[in-house]
Formats: sequence, structure tokens, C-alpha cells
Amino acid sequence: MTSTTSRIAKPGALAASVALALLALQAPAAAFMQEGPDRWGPNPNASANGGRVDTLFWVITALVSVSFLIVLLMLLVTVLRDRARPGVKARYDHGSSLHDKRFTAGVSVAVFLLLDASVLWITMHDLRETVWNIPTGTQNVLRVEVLAQQWAWNFRLPGADNEFGTPDDIVTINHLHVPQGRPVVVHGSSKDVIHSFFVPDMRIKRDVNPGAINKVWFQAEKPGDYEILCAELCGFAHYQMHGTLTVVPPDRWDAWQAEASHIAQATYDENDTEARWAWDWKE
Amino acid sequence: MSGDHIHPAPTSFLRKHVFSTDHKVIARQFMWLGLIWLLIGGGMAMIIRWQLANPGLPVPLLGHLLWPRNGGAVPPDSYNTLFTMHGTIMIFLGLTPLLIGAFGNFCIPLMIGARDMIFPTLNMLSFWTVVLGAGVAFASLFVPLGAAEGGWTAYPTLSSTIGTPGSGETMWAIAVFLIGASSIMGGINYITTVIRLRAPGMTYTRLPMTVWGLVLTAALNVLFLPVIGSAMILMVLDRVFGTTFYVPASMTQGGAGDPILYQHLFWLFGHPEVYILILPAWGIVVDLLSFFSRKPAFGYKVTLGALVTVTVLSAVVYGHHMFTTGMTAMLGESFMLLTMIISVPGEILFFNWLHTLWRGSLRLTTPMLFAMGVIFVFGLGGLTGIYLATISTDIFLHDTYFVVGHFHLTMAASSLFGAFAGTYFWFPKLFGRMMSEKLGKLHFWATIIPLTIVFCTMFISGWAGMPRRYYDHTDSAYLRPLQHLNVLTSVAAFVLGAAQLIFAFNFIKSRWWGAKAAMNPWQVGTLEWTLSSPPPHHNFDTIPVVLSGPHEFSHPGLKDRDWLPQTEAAPALPPGAAAPHAAPAGTRA
Repeated sequence: MTSTTSRIAKPGALAASVALALLALQAPAAAFMQEGPDRWGPNPNASANGGRVDTLFWVITALVSVSFLIVLLMLLVTVLRDRARPGVKARYDHGSSLHDKRFTAGVSVAVFLLLDASVLWITMHDLRETVWNIPTGTQNVLRVEVLAQQWAWNFRLPGADNEFGTPDDIVTINHLHVPQGRPVVVHGSSKDVIHSFFVPDMRIKRDVNPGAINKVWFQAEKPGDYEILCAELCGFAHYQMHGTLTVVPPDRWDAWQAEASHIAQATYDENDTEARWAWDWKE
Repeated sequence: MSGDHIHPAPTSFLRKHVFSTDHKVIARQFMWLGLIWLLIGGGMAMIIRWQLANPGLPVPLLGHLLWPRNGGAVPPDSYNTLFTMHGTIMIFLGLTPLLIGAFGNFCIPLMIGARDMIFPTLNMLSFWTVVLGAGVAFASLFVPLGAAEGGWTAYPTLSSTIGTPGSGETMWAIAVFLIGASSIMGGINYITTVIRLRAPGMTYTRLPMTVWGLVLTAALNVLFLPVIGSAMILMVLDRVFGTTFYVPASMTQGGAGDPILYQHLFWLFGHPEVYILILPAWGIVVDLLSFFSRKPAFGYKVTLGALVTVTVLSAVVYGHHMFTTGMTAMLGESFMLLTMIISVPGEILFFNWLHTLWRGSLRLTTPMLFAMGVIFVFGLGGLTGIYLATISTDIFLHDTYFVVGHFHLTMAASSLFGAFAGTYFWFPKLFGRMMSEKLGKLHFWATIIPLTIVFCTMFISGWAGMPRRYYDHTDSAYLRPLQHLNVLTSVAAFVLGAAQLIFAFNFIKSRWWGAKAAMNPWQVGTLEWTLSSPPPHHNFDTIPVVLSGPHEFSHPGLKDRDWLPQTEAAPALPPGAAAPHAAPAGTRA
């Protein structure tokens, strides 16, 4: 082995052994944490519109991967082909001719149209049909009021009378029940600091701000339990501020709602001012 | 200008090394300050990564010293302090002093052919104001209830007394205000110096692009640091004097403020801040790519136009940080469109960078490697911006590790790579000695490989739904299966952190024991390389007359060398040696 190779090999071997040592140090901790298989992406989408987010994500991924590969390829070509060689001069070219300027402008417009404009087109279409298009009405839509606080989610469903602020409101902490296959419109606010209502499985997120009411909607399509996370830093227990979203199959929803509403009415305490935080619903 | 009085060099130690008004001394002061704080801020990142990979386990070496009552593990409130101060330190006390303070001070007068900044005393004041700000930030670590915990973005009402009652958050706001004031002083100085003190013949299109990057950054500093300064004043008023600028009526007895007001003020500064950090790096990259491919920078005026366009647009795209705050559909879509448009000048920059390298004669020195590294790193960071500019994907990715990966690659890693390229390049002129090329190249490869792993893994965990600023992701059932990504990120981050020690070693060793630098070791034509290394106190004995642009390499009329000092006129092109794609007859090439 020549001296050049051994000189190059040494730092690489050192870096590799450091990395291996660090990995070994991590292994026990990682092993004790694991429950269930490792994930490399989000759980499958469980809502009516979340699939659009996934599709657009992969469309963008395809577009930017191609763009980045072109950049990499050009870097590679110049490094391999254009390295300094004795007797070979670089091309003397300021790139300032009209031809060059037209070429630069042409490529930039083409990239903008292919990359940005096409993504813009898809997202505008999606936004108008989903995010901005909040369902209205009170019959088919389940309305939910969320009041976030450090560090819990207070949920309120209107109950059997479909009115907020009445004794039969179903008020829960950190556990929200919604029916499968019906639009759920969430109006959220906060008692103290800014929180963010994030349900990764439904592909939705919306900040809930003190002093304001923010709106977000989704339609769950698969029954089951999903996690609600807080996505806006809200203090030292931010990481513990998670709740559960239970999606109830449509045939069991009416029974669940009637029972929960009945229990709420039976246990209603007029003196409990903490529980009377409902607000008027404005579309 | 050559008839001007030359100030004699100061003789007392204090005036020479501490309270100096010499731009080169102030540049070195800024450089040391920036590097020391980068080390501190980077160390905080290592502790953050340790906690994320091993939640609740004692931090090796430092843990028992810092958190004895918690068994050496990071407590949740200290964790919030760590990432808050990591961001604040890296941006305001690490990258800003290094890129703008050090290179701005060093390069501007030397590259435009001036003897000093136009306001030397203001320059000195600018440095000592940062020191004061840094002192306040450092002192805040020791107050009761701890330092700031509201994130570097410090959104009210978490940064109001209801969320962070201690005085640490107030001191944080005061520190940011002071550092901002320093940047404004520097900005005024840079702009005025470039307008007033350019050597004869140094027209605006003969300025090295490094100077242009710094001037545009200075313009953004002067325009937008007052915005964050005002936001900080309102925050201090809220916290100390009980006003309610950011506190809504639902939470107070009287008065009705709005926490979203702060977010508008913050991001109206915060988005230009991204460009404040990246513009000097871009300028350095344009110059270095040309210098080390021995080829004129491709499309100087088009590149300059792109930089100016980015600077102008930087202020009108900030709303893309606030898509989840509940902004109206029309406002959201407008900000999305503007954000997409700002990618066009970015594409032009990439195009011209790659075109500069094309058919060059590449010298892969350490500064060149880092300059090319910016193309790679900013390519990754810039392209992932498209996911975040797009509202429907941003809503899912907002406040996840995807965002963390994106902004670290763009504003942090790209700026830092630009700063490394600049440090390796100007070190001979700054300190009169060469840095080790061998260690420099090792540093490059030991940085770019783990760096790519760290931030690309963050893209995966962000896409998988992992929120940022979480003390312990294993507390959530949804996030527990992602812990292996945290471990991978952390291991790569430790290697990345360790690699920076190579740089620190190289820097210290070369500063005092490096090989003596010649006048022009890189064989380039800009004015600073016509001076001794390091240059004399007054820089130029006689103010030079500039006769050519900064990027005249491989001119066919040059016989014995492939570079041309800016003080020499370009020779006539030999017949038949017209540049490729020559302009049609009768127009200017």
C-alpha cells in the first residue's frame, strides 16, 4: 500500500470507529424504547382529504429529486472533467451576451413553470376543495369546540340538543369522540398560550390562539383511536400534551352520543364555573 | 483621495487591540466572538441531540455539573432553554458576527480600496454593543427561574409573563434588541462606506460579489432590525410595565392586544433575517467559484440582479411562516404565490454558479470545496422549501422536524459553509499565515457527510409527523416508533460536532504556528491581495486606481499567468479569441 492511500485511510477509519462507538452507546437505549415496528413515514392517512396531502407530497418529492439530481450531475461533471490540468486554460466567458441572458431567463422560467407553478396549481385546487371549504350547517356536520390549556385539550360536543352551552354538552379532557364518515368542524381557542391542534393521521393542524377562534375540519374514514398532538411550543410539558381521537363507526355513534349526553346532563354541576367555557358558534 | 491624511497607527495596547477603530482589528474581534459563540451554541445542540436520542439519561461529562439535582439528565425546562438559546446564539452571536461582522469589516474596505470604514468609531461601538448584548444573554442563564424558554421565535403569550414568569425572557428580549442595534450601526457604516469610499474606477459592476452580498445584507439590516427592535420593546413593556400589546382581552382586565401582532412583526424581520445570513455567503460563493475555477463569474449582472430581487422580495414572503395561524385564504394564497416567485432568482443563482464551474480549470482547495458545498447544501435546503411554501403540505409539515431540517440547511448550514469558505480563503490576509489544507479538506468531508445525514433524517422524521421542540418523543405512542430516526440523527450530529474540533484545531494552530502567507497565495486579482499579509494599518499607501473587474481569469490576452489584478486593464482580445456565444456585431458583449 502506498503512503498516499494510508494517509487517506486513517481519518476515514477514525471517523468510522467513532461512529461505531457512538452507535454502540446508543443501542441499549434505543432497544429499550422500542414498541412496535420502526416507522419511516406517517401512519396511513385515515381521513377523507388527507390523501391529497400525501399525493402532493410525493409529487413535490419527484419534482425536487429530479431537479437536485441535475444539479448533482452538473457538479459531478465539472469536478471530474474540469479539474485543473497543466496546459489547459479555463474558457474565458463572462456569460454576459444576450444569448446567455436569454438562456438563463428561459431555463428559470421553465423551471418555475414545471416546478413551482404546477405545484401551485395542485395546491390551489386542493385548498379550495378542502382546507378553505369548511362545511356549514348543523345537521350532518359534527361541531366541536376545543379549548386548549397548559397542558391539556378540553373538548365540547353540543350533545343531544345540538346546542353549545347547555347542560347536556359532552365535555371531555384529552379525549375526543367523532363519528366516522361525517365532517367534523373544530373551533379552537386557548386559555393561556398558543397551542396547535395536530392530528397526524388526519393530516390536519391548526394553531389555537388565546383571544381568537380558529377553524379546522376533517372527515375521519377509518374507525379507531388516533393521537392528538400539540404542535406549537407551549411550555416545558409541551411534549406531554397529547390526547386521543376516537372515531366511532356510524351505526354506534347515535347510541354513544345519547349515552354521553345523558351522563353529562345527570352530572352537570351549576357551580362548576371551570366547566362553563362554551362560546357562541359563528360560522 | 491619495492626498488624504493617513492616521498614524495607535501605539497603546488598549487602542491597538481592544478599543481599536481599525476595521481589520474589529473584523478579527468579531471573528473570535463569533467562533467562540458558535462553539457554545454548537455544544448546546450536542446536549439537545443527546437528550432526544436518550431521553432522561444523564448527559456525559457535563450532566452532573449542570443538573446535579436531576441526576445529570436535562430537565424539561432546561431543555426548552437549550433550544431557545441554541437558536438565538447561533443566529445572533455566531453567524451574524462571523459573516457580517468579520467579513463585512475585513473585506469591504480592502476590496473597494479604502483605508478604513467611513465611520471607524461607530464601527467600534457596533462591536462593543454586541459584546454587551452577548453579556446580557449570558447573564440570563444564571437568573432565578432560568433563561428564556420561549423558543428563538418567542411567541407571546408563551413569552409573556403568563408563560415565562422569570426575568430570563426579558433579558433575552433586551439582548436581541442590543444585538439588533449593533447590526443597524454596522449596516449604516457598510452602505455609506461602499457608496463614498470606493477607489477611483471601482464602479458598482466592478465590485467583488462578496461586497455586494454584504451591502444588500446591510440594507436588510438597516430596514428590518428596527422591526424586531420594536417588537422587543413592546415585549419588554408587556413583561415589565404591564401593557397588553400582545395579550388578548380574554386574558386581561383591561386593554386588548393580539399575540398574532407579534408574529407579524417577528416574521417581517425573521424572513429577511434568513437572507441577511445567506446573502454574504452567496456573495462569497460567487467570487470563490470564479476564483478557483479560474473563470469569470458567469453572468455578473444577472447574478447581481437576482441578489437584488431576492433582497426586495425577502420582505413580502414572510407570511409563509404563519399558514397555520388562521390567516385568511386570500392572504395565505398571496404569500404562497410570492414565496414561489422568490425561487426564480434562486434558480438563476444556481444556474450561474454551475455555469461558472462549467469548462473551468477547477482548483479544489478547501475554500473551493466549501463554496461548492454551498451549492449542494443550499440545493437540498432550497428545494425542500417548496413543500413548505405549498400551503396544503405546509399545514402537515409545519412545526415538525421537516422545518428544522429545511431551515438548518438553508440559513444555518449554507451560511456556515459560506463562512468556512471565507475563513479558509481570507485567513492568510487576516492573520498572515496559511491554514492547513490537509486538515481543511478533512474538515470539509467530515462535515458535509454527517451534516447531510442529520438534516435529511430530519426530513424523514418531519414527514413522519414528529413535532419539533419536544423534550421526549417517546412519551407519545404515535412518535415512539420514530425514535430510531432520532438516534440516527443524533449519532450523525455527534460526528458533525466532533468534526468541528478539526476546524478549531486548524484555526488555533495556523493562527500562531501556520506557514507564513505570501502576498497573493491564491493568485486572484481583487485589491486586498495587492497588499502584504496582513495589510498595514492604513491598508493602501496610495489609493489604487481600478481598471478591470474582479473576475478576469484565463483571459486569452494574458501570457504568463491566468489572473489579472483589478489595478491592471484587461489586454485586448487576440484576433479569433472571441468569447463563446459572442454577442452579435454592434452590441456590447
